[in-house]
Amino acid sequence: MHSKTSQLPLTVMLVDNEPARAAIVEQALLDNGYKVIRRLENTQNLTRAVQESLPDMVIIDIESPDRDMLENMSQLTRNNPRPIVMFAEENESTSMEAAIRAGVSAYVVDGMQPNRFKPILQVAIARFREFQALRLELETIKTQLEDRKLIDKAKGLIMKHQGCDEAAAYKALRKLAMDRSQRMSEVALNVISVMNLMGEVE
Amino acid sequence: MDRFNNTSQGTKPSGADITLGFIPLIDSAPFIIAKEKGLFEKEGVDVVLSKEASWASIRDKVTFNLLQGAHMLASMPLATSLGIGSANKVKIQTSFTVSQNGNGITVSNNLYQLMYSCCDAFQALRSGHALKLAIRHRSAQGDLLKFAVVYPYSSHHYQLRDWLSRAGIDPDNDVQIIVVPPTKMMGYLRSGEIDGYCVGEPWNSLAVEQGIGHMLVTGYEIWGNTPEKVLGANLQWANENEEEHYALIRALDKACKWVDDENNLEELLNILSHPDYLNCPAAQLRYGFSAIKPSGQFDWPMEAYQKFSSDKINRPNPQYALWLLGQMHRWHQLPVASSLINVANNTFNDDIYCRALRIDHPRKLKPLIGSYEESEWLDLIKADKVRVHPKGIEFGFVYL
Repeated sequence: MHSKTSQLPLTVMLVDNEPARAAIVEQALLDNGYKVIRRLENTQNLTRAVQESLPDMVIIDIESPDRDMLENMSQLTRNNPRPIVMFAEENESTSMEAAIRAGVSAYVVDGMQPNRFKPILQVAIARFREFQALRLELETIKTQLEDRKLIDKAKGLIMKHQGCDEAAAYKALRKLAMDRSQRMSEVALNVISVMNLMGEVE
Repeated sequence: MDRFNNTSQGTKPSGADITLGFIPLIDSAPFIIAKEKGLFEKEGVDVVLSKEASWASIRDKVTFNLLQGAHMLASMPLATSLGIGSANKVKIQTSFTVSQNGNGITVSNNLYQLMYSCCDAFQALRSGHALKLAIRHRSAQGDLLKFAVVYPYSSHHYQLRDWLSRAGIDPDNDVQIIVVPPTKMMGYLRSGEIDGYCVGEPWNSLAVEQGIGHMLVTGYEIWGNTPEKVLGANLQWANENEEEHYALIRALDKACKWVDDENNLEELLNILSHPDYLNCPAAQLRYGFSAIKPSGQFDWPMEAYQKFSSDKINRPNPQYALWLLGQMHRWHQLPVASSLINVANNTFNDDIYCRALRIDHPRKLKPLIGSYEESEWLDLIKADKVRVHPKGIEFGFVYL
């Protein structure tokens, strides 16, 4: 059943307090030819914004504390022609599960055909996952940086204690790590704590 | 056995067997205490708690088993099992109630002044009749008074509507009811964004203490003793992991006893105030547990306080489930109703409670709605001809 109005592009409202992620999702939706009518990073006036913009679909971070507020809107606006409800189709549970695992929650206008909102949801899920991966990568880099700082500090202590040069200190650390089959940063941490005990650190 | 460890996306990674969600409210105390006091561990289950930002998030994560169970509003397992308010008709079951009572209705100072000027009779202020007069008085203003509750499927929402309608106020047309997270309630009341709310403690007592509003009536005075929060479990998980489910119930049962023991109050407040949990000053939480309340216009009856432990409190009562289903129907959330008695019996599972706690004789409830047909009974609910017994759901229903 395709009425004329169903051919109009869907309007999407994005609610995400993570500006970087919101920007990625918005760009991806635009690239795919969808229309983002509003991007909210602050949910202070969420209810009002929804009432003003009357989106066909709201995509919101699953961890947003304002979801309960949004869920009440289908009740609040019983006389409003565009209530917002969770997906009405039971057979959409696979895409719902994927969404929730990725941290995306979504609300659509009651009675909307799944084939209309599913591609939009797919795009959001993909970008949320991408963002998650990116964040993980950032954390890894942060750890690596911290590891390097530890190693530098341990090297410095060994150089001071043994009166050796940097290359020798590094070699000593690496040998320790290999002997104990530990990571360099772990060995560095051990060295720092031992030196600390011995009063070698300021 | 599937340990459901594939939950690394969208939720906190956990190596534990079971992840339980909670909302940082005082009645999540049994979950937190069961964890902190090693009660889960003693029962042989490895449990991680996950702080959640909304009831919607709890529902979605339990639905897809990212959480195996959670701290829930008593209405949530029913709404979710019937597929109302969400897309998926996934069965969530409760076999343990963690708390009883604790709600109150508070109005702003401005609204109270207006009510008082319309009618200063003590009883009229408490019953909502003064509010009705106030609404009539300000009807020329056009905008409706705004009341807040914590979730559409909650005792707070239904108690507020019941209280309003008994005073002759139409909750659909004479006021506006919105949802506001409990922690934001007082701020909204202070700023005038809302005129009143129905919420659990400490948000009624704190409003009185800080002179932001007046508490008019408690949930106990509207419904008698009724369950508040429950342990809700993903039904499939519970069926496949019976022993673990029993262990959770036993641990929570012990935790509820611990929480109700006055000697533990200071330690309880300290634990709850931790950043991982409620993340607030311990003093702020005191009103949730202590017999001392700030003195306002109206006092809390002793029975209205939130309690956590006793067989009557903790044992799921299908009659209450039916009452909640009736409220959902009365307030247009549950349009088509059938086999509600089955839903009530299956969702509030008394049997599992008894097996977990090794209680021999399950309480035998009379037929839940006497000799009424379901549809007849729902009509009575709609017409407000059925009430919870003034002392509480333990005593069944009274018919007017």
